Amino acid sequence: MSAIYILIGASLVVATGFLIAFLWAVKSGQMDDRYTPSVRMLFDDELKVLNKQNDSSLSNEQEKKELN
Amino acid sequence: MQVEKFSYDNKIVKYFAIATSVWGIVGMLVGLIIAIQLYLPSLSFNLPYLTFGRLRPLHTNAVIFAFVGNGIFMGVYYSMQRLLKARMFNNFLSYLHFWGWQLIIVLAALTLVLGITTSKEYAELEWPIDILIAVIWVVFGVNMIGTILKRRERHMYVAIWFYIATFVTVAVLHIVNSFEIPVNFLKSYSLYAGVQDALVQWWYGHNAVAFFLTTPYLGLMYYFMPKAANRPVYSYRLSIIHFWALIFLYIWAGPHHLLYSALPDWAQSLGTVFSIMLIAPSWGGMINGLLTLRGAWDKVREDPVLKFMVVAVTAYGMSTFRRSNAFIKKSECSGTLHGLDNCSCSYWCSWMERVPDIWNSVLLNTKTLEN
Amino acid sequence: MPEIVDVEEKLICFHCGELCSDRSIAQEEKIFCCEGCKLVYEVLNENNLCTYYDLNTAPGATKKANSSVKRYDYLDDPDISEKLVEFKNDQLFKISFFIPEIHCSSCIWLLENLYKVDSRIIESRVDFPAKKVFIKANSTIKISEIVSILDLIGYEPRLSLDELEKKDTKSFNKALYIKVGIAGFAFGNIMMLSFPEYLSVKDSVESFGLFFQLIMIVLSLPVLFYCSSDYFVSAWKGLKQKFINIDSPLSLGILALWGRSIFEIVTGSGPGYMDSFAGLIFFLLLGKVFQNKTYEYFNFERNYKSYFPISITKKLKSGEEQIIPLSKIAVKDRILIRNNEIIPADSILIDGQANVDYSFVTGESLPQLKSKGEKVFAGGKQIGGLIELEIIKEVSQSYLTRLWNDFIISKNRENRLTKFSNLVSKYFTLAILLLASSAVIIWYESGLYNVISVVTAVLIVACPCALALSAPFALGNTLRLFGRNNFYIKNINVVEDLSHVNSVVFDKTGTLTENQDIGIIFEGIELTDHESALVKSAVKNSLHPLSKIIYRYLSKSTELKVDSFEEQLGSGGRASIGGSSVLFGSRSIVDQQAVSEKGQVDSVWGSKVFISIDSNYKGCFRVKNKYRDGIEEVISETASKKEVYILSGDNNSEMENLSKLIDPNRIRFNQSPSDKMEFIDEMHKLNRKVLMIGDGLNDAAALSKAEVGISLSDDLMNFTPASDALIHGSSLKLLPGFLKQAVSTMNVVKWSFIISSIYNVAGISVALSGNLSPLFAAILMPVSSISVVIFTTLGTFYTAKNTT
Repeated sequence: MSAIYILIGASLVVATGFLIAFLWAVKSGQMDDRYTPSVRMLFDDELKVLNKQNDSSLSNEQEKKELN
Repeated sequence: MQVEKFSYDNKIVKYFAIATSVWGIVGMLVGLIIAIQLYLPSLSFNLPYLTFGRLRPLHTNAVIFAFVGNGIFMGVYYSMQRLLKARMFNNFLSYLHFWGWQLIIVLAALTLVLGITTSKEYAELEWPIDILIAVIWVVFGVNMIGTILKRRERHMYVAIWFYIATFVTVAVLHIVNSFEIPVNFLKSYSLYAGVQDALVQWWYGHNAVAFFLTTPYLGLMYYFMPKAANRPVYSYRLSIIHFWALIFLYIWAGPHHLLYSALPDWAQSLGTVFSIMLIAPSWGGMINGLLTLRGAWDKVREDPVLKFMVVAVTAYGMSTFRRSNAFIKKSECSGTLHGLDNCSCSYWCSWMERVPDIWNSVLLNTKTLEN
Repeated sequence: MPEIVDVEEKLICFHCGELCSDRSIAQEEKIFCCEGCKLVYEVLNENNLCTYYDLNTAPGATKKANSSVKRYDYLDDPDISEKLVEFKNDQLFKISFFIPEIHCSSCIWLLENLYKVDSRIIESRVDFPAKKVFIKANSTIKISEIVSILDLIGYEPRLSLDELEKKDTKSFNKALYIKVGIAGFAFGNIMMLSFPEYLSVKDSVESFGLFFQLIMIVLSLPVLFYCSSDYFVSAWKGLKQKFINIDSPLSLGILALWGRSIFEIVTGSGPGYMDSFAGLIFFLLLGKVFQNKTYEYFNFERNYKSYFPISITKKLKSGEEQIIPLSKIAVKDRILIRNNEIIPADSILIDGQANVDYSFVTGESLPQLKSKGEKVFAGGKQIGGLIELEIIKEVSQSYLTRLWNDFIISKNRENRLTKFSNLVSKYFTLAILLLASSAVIIWYESGLYNVISVVTAVLIVACPCALALSAPFALGNTLRLFGRNNFYIKNINVVEDLSHVNSVVFDKTGTLTENQDIGIIFEGIELTDHESALVKSAVKNSLHPLSKIIYRYLSKSTELKVDSFEEQLGSGGRASIGGSSVLFGSRSIVDQQAVSEKGQVDSVWGSKVFISIDSNYKGCFRVKNKYRDGIEEVISETASKKEVYILSGDNNSEMENLSKLIDPNRIRFNQSPSDKMEFIDEMHKLNRKVLMIGDGLNDAAALSKAEVGISLSDDLMNFTPASDALIHGSSLKLLPGFLKQAVSTMNVVKWSFIISSIYNVAGISVALSGNLSPLFAAILMPVSSISVVIFTTLGTFYTAKNTT
């Protein structure tokens, strides 16, 4: 069953790699703000102005809720 | 201080969009043919090239690697540039990636029809193509990581993490599974023997589903769903937890594909238990996606793109549920192959439904860009 | 129909969404409520930033009240700029500002596009939950310029002494997240490697056992030495102070688990319990994450420093004005105070009409009128025109500061476990030690090996993991549920304290009543439309605060041209309007006859304004405190279960209204801040557990003395005195529900303690018999923990549904 060693070895290496990535992400402040990026990604340089009248009130409400 | 100016590379996105639709049509057409062949075997016209045995891998390869693969690249190239506020790292690498990938697909189609195969499911291609895949995949990875390094946006949006996970794990899976000894230019034998080979193959097979078909599309969902609905994802915090939970757990599942094979019981059970545990992260993603639309269902009614997304995300949830359940040992008794195909099909269906929406949104966006 | 729609079309300000009186202020078919809003629009339009208006409708804040151009030169003062700047080199510097106005996606968009307004700003990033903007800028730009830009576009940063002194208040616990990540990673991987064991597959264990176990040991090391270090440290600290806290049995369990696992693996006698070990730490740390949940964007520790402004306008001898940091003013300096600014130090009025609102400091609801030469105290807010003051005491010696320094003690609640858990864990630990020693006695005969294995087994299953999780999850969930109802508590310990409260003390002004809106009623002959117009036009010219309230009250009446007006400061005024003469003010001025009849004269305005038109007495306007909605129900409901008291810094004009609600003996008027504090002390002597609810600085001492102090505010981002909790004015009506919920939550905690003890008893009985298998331990631990977590979460949700 030597393949098991290879598989577990490979899995562990990948997993450890991601653990290190996780540690980097926390330490470098990637996770400090866990809300704003989700709004920021909505802004495009080429902004679509579609039905803005309809959803503005909704998104406003949503943001207020997010605060809590 | 001068304002930096740069532009997104939209041409590469369009290239991948066209490739996606072309291969999508081809792949599904082949699927239709083999489906008819089940009922009407004579449809192969007695040509060895058109027999079910050769067309079926062609169908799966065309759908997974050509159709879905190009779809992933299209979505990744589109969203990554915008999320990182940077043009792709290197134009040459982008187009090398595109043409290289199409070459692989063409070579795959030719070799499979000619009967040249390693006979490993989802990894049928022979060693020269395997090497080509590895090279092109690394090209994609270098281009992606280069873009991440020169990004203008400090925060890496959760979708980017999903893309990174896709690149790293698929590379490892592909390379470990493709260790083989060539006997001549078109034939090789796996480095692993017997049940060892099967174990490695299904470790690959499962994780290919996980990291080629699931993580990139979860990343794309986290980008395109909020974009289409024009509202932030329901809980960004949950999406971060979603990613890390999935990454720490998903890698272990896999051996459940060999239930009641020669693989030791414990290894099978292990895979089973983890498959069940995977429901949590999968559903976390689905719920997060659907809740993003809460209060916007009127929009869903009007917007075909959103409609596709809702169906796809729900189907994703359902099919992961079915998958996980199907691999509980007892229910698997009735017939491994049957259960697997069934579930996998529903699973892929869900992704096939997903692709048009991304295509649409790209078209939509490219249109606005052209104006 | 179309015509009607046309007529009723509302004129809404394009910038802030407020109603506009007419179309007079407009630009490119967009109308604005004031020049300030229009200016913001022009600035944004000029810089191609109108996406701001596309993202949300009318996202701005109105500039109506705040249109004066402020000067920020003082920020470039080296002392101040050094405190503000977070990083600096030759080319650039980094700085962050707290901007309470941040409220929607438009705000984020605009503030992240500041470089379009001024290219010297290199990058700006918003942290929405913390309401902060982080700016990286070229060193050619001055801090004052950045702040002016922010102010110009409607995002004035909050700059106060307090904000300056505490840099990076964000207590984001990165170490904890890293620990959870590592423990989760180790847990997942160890569990995977342990499965062959659970399924007791002989062949696999023989062939791979050692390989797997070696990996497990490696994975367990960081969990033991890094992730669980807090528990050992806390237990050790407790023991040094001869005090057993819940971390002692936890540490014992952790050590027993790990030590025994290593022993088994090394001797080859068994597979060990590494999976249970990693899982235990992972769950415990998750509980800690829950327990540490705090509201980053609220400041519970504000003191007078955050109430004071950061700078002040100094008038130089030459007559020039100069803006200087507050810390640099000295006795005998002349300073200028404008409308809505706060008086920073005790001083004497030199010039201008001072109309000082002390409601925040003393609790008096009406502003006080001061004339030249009178003393004004620090903390009051000038309402009206510009005044000039001469400082007579330094800021640190002023009334308000002394009040603070003398009385306020900050309660140290940080990170202590609940009293209840500690009480339970003390007995729990003793019981475990007793059981472990009895195990020694029972198994003594059968040899050392058996004794050790049974004792460690007892310690392992007795590890109060579920117990340690129940309080954080139940209280943490309640904290979040409270937050949804705009009641924000500092940490989970406040829930426990809240459940013990048996006396509730309310402040009156600003707490029971609404501060902004002093109500007024007219008593007398009903005024005709014309008469109302006359009165309105007359009071418009008066400086007195009550006149302004009457003016607002009559806002619907038309305004007439005033021919002449004379005011007798402090007592009233006379106006002639189109042949009619209007007299208003104190009783003596308006109605000599009425006075002589009653035989009393009050020469100053009280809380009443008398009106006569053409020498005919019409009646009087009487100030009426406007109570918050549903306040009667809150008080009567609270009073049915607890003792309710009302302390007011105001005069007793409201006695009549309040005594309808509670026993008049429990209402006290004219209470100074120290009176309020002493009252709480008295209550303590009677062994009462007090909840104090107040809004102003005058309550700060009492808030800090009470078991639980809640500050109430209609704008939580604004100043609130230091407290254990913040409540939004509109949520005060839910107070009885909150109190009930706190009690129910503690009951849920008690029940979950019982449930987890049952698990422990079951585990211990198995352990004592010497049959504890790794699989049993591996199942018992997560099952008990998860069931307790589910029970507490559902329990708090259920009780919350019933109470609020």
